[in-house]
Amino acid sequence: MTNINNSKKTKREQIVNNGRIIMIIMTVIIASITLRLWYLQIVKGEYYSQKSQDNRIRNRRIRALRGIITDRYGKILADNSLGLNLQIIPENIDKDNIKELAGLIAELTEELEADTIVELYSKSSAYTRHRPLTLKKNLTADELARIEARKYELPGVIIETEPLREYPYDKICSHIIGYLGFINDRELQLEAYQSYARDDLVGRTGIEARYQSDLRGRDGLRQVVVNARGRELETFTVEPTVSGNNLQLTIDIDLQKFAFDLMGEQVGSLVAIDPENGEILALVSTPSFSNNLFSTRIRKEDWQRINNDPLHPLQNRPIQGCYPPGSTIKPLIAAVALTDQLINPETKFFCNGSLTLGRTRFRCWNRYGHGETALLKSITQSCDVYYYNLATRVSIDRLAAFGSEFGIGRKSGIELPGEKSGLMPSSSWKLKNVHDQWYTGDSLSVCIGQGYLTTTPLQIAAMYMVFANHGTYFPPHLIKNNDIKGVKVDINDKNMEVIRKALWQVVNTRRGTARKSRLTTEQWEMAGKTGTAQVVKQQLETLKKVADTPWRFRDHAWFAAFAPFTSPKIAIAVLIEHGGHGGSTAAPIARQAVEFYLNKLESLKK
Amino acid sequence: MTLLHHNRRHSTRIRTATEDNFSPETRSHLSEKGLERNRFDGFDYFTCLMTIVLIGLGVLTIYSATYNPEATSWLTGYCRRQLIWVGSALVIGTIIFLFHYNILYQIAYPLYGLGIILLLAVEVAGSTHMGATRWLAIGSFSIQPSEFAKLTVILALARFLSNRRLPPPYNLKELITPAIIIALPAALILKQPDLGTAMLIILISGVIIFIAGITRGTIITLGLGALSAAAVGWQFLHDYQRQRILTFMNPEIDPLGSGYHIAQSKIAIGAGKLFGKGFLKGTQNSLHFLPEQHTDFIFAAYAEQWGFLGVLILLAIYFLFLLRALNIAMEARDSFGSYLATGIAAIFFWQVTINIGMVSGLMPVVGIPLPLFSYGGTSMLTSIALISILLNIHYRRKG
Repeated sequence: MTNINNSKKTKREQIVNNGRIIMIIMTVIIASITLRLWYLQIVKGEYYSQKSQDNRIRNRRIRALRGIITDRYGKILADNSLGLNLQIIPENIDKDNIKELAGLIAELTEELEADTIVELYSKSSAYTRHRPLTLKKNLTADELARIEARKYELPGVIIETEPLREYPYDKICSHIIGYLGFINDRELQLEAYQSYARDDLVGRTGIEARYQSDLRGRDGLRQVVVNARGRELETFTVEPTVSGNNLQLTIDIDLQKFAFDLMGEQVGSLVAIDPENGEILALVSTPSFSNNLFSTRIRKEDWQRINNDPLHPLQNRPIQGCYPPGSTIKPLIAAVALTDQLINPETKFFCNGSLTLGRTRFRCWNRYGHGETALLKSITQSCDVYYYNLATRVSIDRLAAFGSEFGIGRKSGIELPGEKSGLMPSSSWKLKNVHDQWYTGDSLSVCIGQGYLTTTPLQIAAMYMVFANHGTYFPPHLIKNNDIKGVKVDINDKNMEVIRKALWQVVNTRRGTARKSRLTTEQWEMAGKTGTAQVVKQQLETLKKVADTPWRFRDHAWFAAFAPFTSPKIAIAVLIEHGGHGGSTAAPIARQAVEFYLNKLESLKK
Repeated sequence: MTLLHHNRRHSTRIRTATEDNFSPETRSHLSEKGLERNRFDGFDYFTCLMTIVLIGLGVLTIYSATYNPEATSWLTGYCRRQLIWVGSALVIGTIIFLFHYNILYQIAYPLYGLGIILLLAVEVAGSTHMGATRWLAIGSFSIQPSEFAKLTVILALARFLSNRRLPPPYNLKELITPAIIIALPAALILKQPDLGTAMLIILISGVIIFIAGITRGTIITLGLGALSAAAVGWQFLHDYQRQRILTFMNPEIDPLGSGYHIAQSKIAIGAGKLFGKGFLKGTQNSLHFLPEQHTDFIFAAYAEQWGFLGVLILLAIYFLFLLRALNIAMEARDSFGSYLATGIAAIFFWQVTINIGMVSGLMPVVGIPLPLFSYGGTSMLTSIALISILLNIHYRRKG
């Protein structure tokens, strides 16, 4: 017991005793560190201070190559070329010389003013003086030659190579690809842009914006030893660059180009989809703009010209333009009526040129009427009265639900920013937004593709994709993706065949509204539907010929189709703004595009 | 009340387990007395204040080290995240403080076992980062078991030594078990390879064993042993580790390679001279010459801006903090608390010494942050947790 008692004391004593020794050792060690710092800062302070001023190793970023974007066959849609940038390094330029230097630079280059250079220079603070400032991107060969020739009069001026984005197809697919723009001050503050620096280009719209982080890659780092006059003596690559990921689109650029040329001066959209999987083959929006203009800092006058154009060339019409679908919606109305067994294919309604509901007279486009009309005839000749009759039988909410299966009234989820959903109205929608109940009259307008109903050209193309492939909705997409799953729409095969037959008749029979646009070869047949969407309500009395109406009051012309009829390879929707009748303006464009594509597939097979 | 009840239960257990210089009567009397003591009486405001000052200086330096003249708000990026970590660390610290530290005695061995298991798991399933496998992904976040092992070794050692009936000072033979407790995790960490942390564990344990008491002969034998081990160990070092030590000996061999870090941080510190270049005016720092200027090399950024005077103030705070921690160790209610507090003091001491020694070119570069100062969540969390345990030991001290 005594022993244990003793050891207890010893343990505590040991702690106190040894604790003191540790304190002394710690004091000695910390004192020696202090001595070391005294040596560095006081004894050698002047030496290191000089060294810090002479520290002439500069970190420079090497820009990573942005990922390349190709079409479905590997043709390059967005590429990188080498751009030469003119830069100055403020710390290597004397304050007294800047005016003179700026004058010389302005003289040797185009579009640069001496004052702006001086201003840029004076803006750089002690913190940024060592960073190169870009004065001009993408120098021309002439400018380069002039600068190189007088290099020795230009201390602190360097020429930096940098990847430059290039779009070989320019206007033809600038809405899909999008363009780049400089990151702005507000974005630089955001968490999402932490790894970015001023002068970085980021995707602003289109695929470039949507896949910014994939395409971007990772910048590298280079260390440069410079002498006191700023001349670069040695270079070391510290971190190599990592190029961005390449992207392959589903677009067929040949078809896209052909379609774009077909559209010519006309304003509108053309969407082509592969009905077997929902891959978008072409997505044309006219008028277009040159996205190459944005690759360097876009010039003010170019921007103003594009931005102030009354035709809004920046708008991506196939996914952002919401138009009344006109008669192209009729097959959908017929389909829901057949599915719900409100009619059968033989059910007939009599068309005398109009239908009166309450006090309102709803006109058919044919003021003399179509007479006894059953389903096939109603689509072939696009009888409005037939659909007025269906409108009184189908509930709008059922129609909204059914249309949604075909993609009407909702976003498709296409890989592009800014997609609009159009509007598939329902009774609850009207109550909420118009503060009124749903009237049968509203349904009448909707069932001929007018009224509250609006759709994007992409939605119409997708709807005809469903008719083409016998009833499967594939989400339309632009990036090759084998995981895309189709969803069967709620319509049986028999009814589907009726609708398809009617669409076939539109193009291939004597009375069809698109008879003039049947394919020129016997090899394939096309099926489709014309549409004419009213822009302004016209009274019967003032109905004039298309040519007599001012352009902006003319109707929009639609044509939606698929081909070949038996095993469709392409579903297409064409919209010409203020194009008048769908059969005469939109259908011929669609026909030519379809023939081009089918011929191309044929030649690829060989 | 539950808490207080807790205390009493554990103190009974301790009494049988350790051999302290308090008789059971005194102890129960003390814990009664402890209850009567004013709730805030035993709280160590001094340590708290120093901690806050250190964190504050650290955040300021992180701000200057990551300063972006183009940003409009100072509360972005690293600075903000550091403050978030400080906030969450304080919450965890408060929780730790509420429980009697005897709980740590209870779970010392299980925790030690867990630490070993985690280190083995890293061996098997760890993720490799820059050539070293140190991280273990659990769910969505990853942990660094070597950090955890640092704490568990101290706990196991403190428990083992406080439990021991054999009177100190110990000789070499009596230190075999503690040596195994230390060597097992140290070897596993060395294998990752993380020489810095392995050495740190050995150094910290050394301090604990030293305060417990060892014979003079043992000290001499261990010293000679360490020297010969270093000679043999050199053979087993990884190339990059050898390279670091070689460039440390002669940084001019490769001024842009591995010697670059040391050379640049020495320039930064030296250029600070007596008064420093002033807040946000450190060019070494702003020109990005300093490597990892907000983490391991933050001291250089501080020294450049505040000069030798600033350095003196900072070192003085750390020094006072360490003296205080050792004082707490000497006044603890039981030997477990003493050893634990010593271990905590040792962690801070070695980290501060090694970090500043490294950036000022006294020691080779190893990745050890400056506690309470460097940017980093793990480091901040561990540091504050350790201080909380320290305050805990102080709060429940004898007398």
